[in-house]
Amino acid sequence: MDWMASAMRAARAQLETATHNLANVASDGYRRARAAVILTPGGLVARETPDPVQGGIRETGRPLDLALLGPGSFRAGGTETRNGAFLRDRDGYLADQQGRRIQGQSGPIRLSETAVVGTDGAIRDGGRFVGALPLPRGTTVRSGALESSNVDAISETLGVLTAQRAFETAQKTLVAIDQTRDKAVNDVGRLK
Amino acid sequence: MYAAASGMAAQQTNLEVIADNLANADVAGFKQVVASFTDVNAGGSLGLGTATAGKHPLFAQGKLMHGGGPFDVAIDGAGFFRVERAGVLAYTRNGEFTRAADGTLRNADGWALRDIRIPAEATAVHASTNGRVIIDVPATNHTIDVPPVTGATERTIGTIRLATFAAPEQLLPLGGTVFAATHDSGPERRIEAGRATGPSIQFGMLERSNVSIIESMMQILTAQRAYEANAKGVQAADEMQRIANNINRG
Repeated sequence: MDWMASAMRAARAQLETATHNLANVASDGYRRARAAVILTPGGLVARETPDPVQGGIRETGRPLDLALLGPGSFRAGGTETRNGAFLRDRDGYLADQQGRRIQGQSGPIRLSETAVVGTDGAIRDGGRFVGALPLPRGTTVRSGALESSNVDAISETLGVLTAQRAFETAQKTLVAIDQTRDKAVNDVGRLK
Repeated sequence: MYAAASGMAAQQTNLEVIADNLANADVAGFKQVVASFTDVNAGGSLGLGTATAGKHPLFAQGKLMHGGGPFDVAIDGAGFFRVERAGVLAYTRNGEFTRAADGTLRNADGWALRDIRIPAEATAVHASTNGRVIIDVPATNHTIDVPPVTGATERTIGTIRLATFAAPEQLLPLGGTVFAATHDSGPERRIEAGRATGPSIQFGMLERSNVSIIESMMQILTAQRAYEANAKGVQAADEMQRIANNINRG
């Protein structure tokens, strides 16, 4: 019976993962979480792992929209993100939409309207080097484009339905076990 | 359940923004607004869904077209017209002006172009690419001491100055095509038009909105599908709750 309860909890966690993914189908740079149900001595547990599949690249034409091709992320303030919809803040620093400054290899990057972001992450302003985005080897930057969320609404909806059915199955089984025990305890050996 | 509900709310916001873009697709100087979203997590890996990261106008240049109005003007390049209403200074790229009774040039919402006042005796108005506004006045006007050649004479009455901002995306929309400066946009910097590099004033032209109707329709379809998918998520979560509540009834 504990097993079935753990199966229900796992299905519930799967649903939460799928709905969180669905909610972020329009969040640029978002990487979906994969929920895998695994068997442990304590029962069934849903484990979340990030899905590293590259999201689609969408052309925007804005020079400060940056898409990462390959692993890695931008550092905005203290957080990491793959959403590269950046702007210049009032002091001329590269910042994200919430106003957090983007960290280059040596601190925030100050640039003018005419700055160009190279595919290697180096930022040049009229030929002058003003900073570089820290990137893992092999990752390149595309300026004028954004990485869309890698969530696929259809498969995520399937995930929602699967989790729902798994939950129902576990619940039905739980009830069946309960009824069997009920019989064993209350009916077996009873004299009419 | 709340993650899925936040997804529905996000798509609702998205649809509103796209609908507003579409509604303004024919308004001169209107700039497409884009809503962006970000995932929300409570500390560790517990996903709480999504939230709006911001709504920002995209200041990509709209195509210039012949306006047809006698006071139409457009900016080719970066920058904004400086306009004023009831003492409030604001900024717009909508140059569809008409002449008000007091000689000022006003747009449909009553915002008047700063520094320019067309005198009553003007018979024609034009402006050069550097923003200098020139009027024709009848030669009989005695305030003009230059001898007339063609029966009318020209007079410069002022210059249209433009403003730029360090972070124009952070300007505050005041509705339609007019924006106010904010702390995050930085203060206005005045620039002169008509330099070799930089914006120029195009008199007689209007800047179309930079909204693409086809692209907006596609965005609406995508947003609707995403909304429905999230609604499914809410439904499923609700259903699970119901089953869990009825567990001991078999």
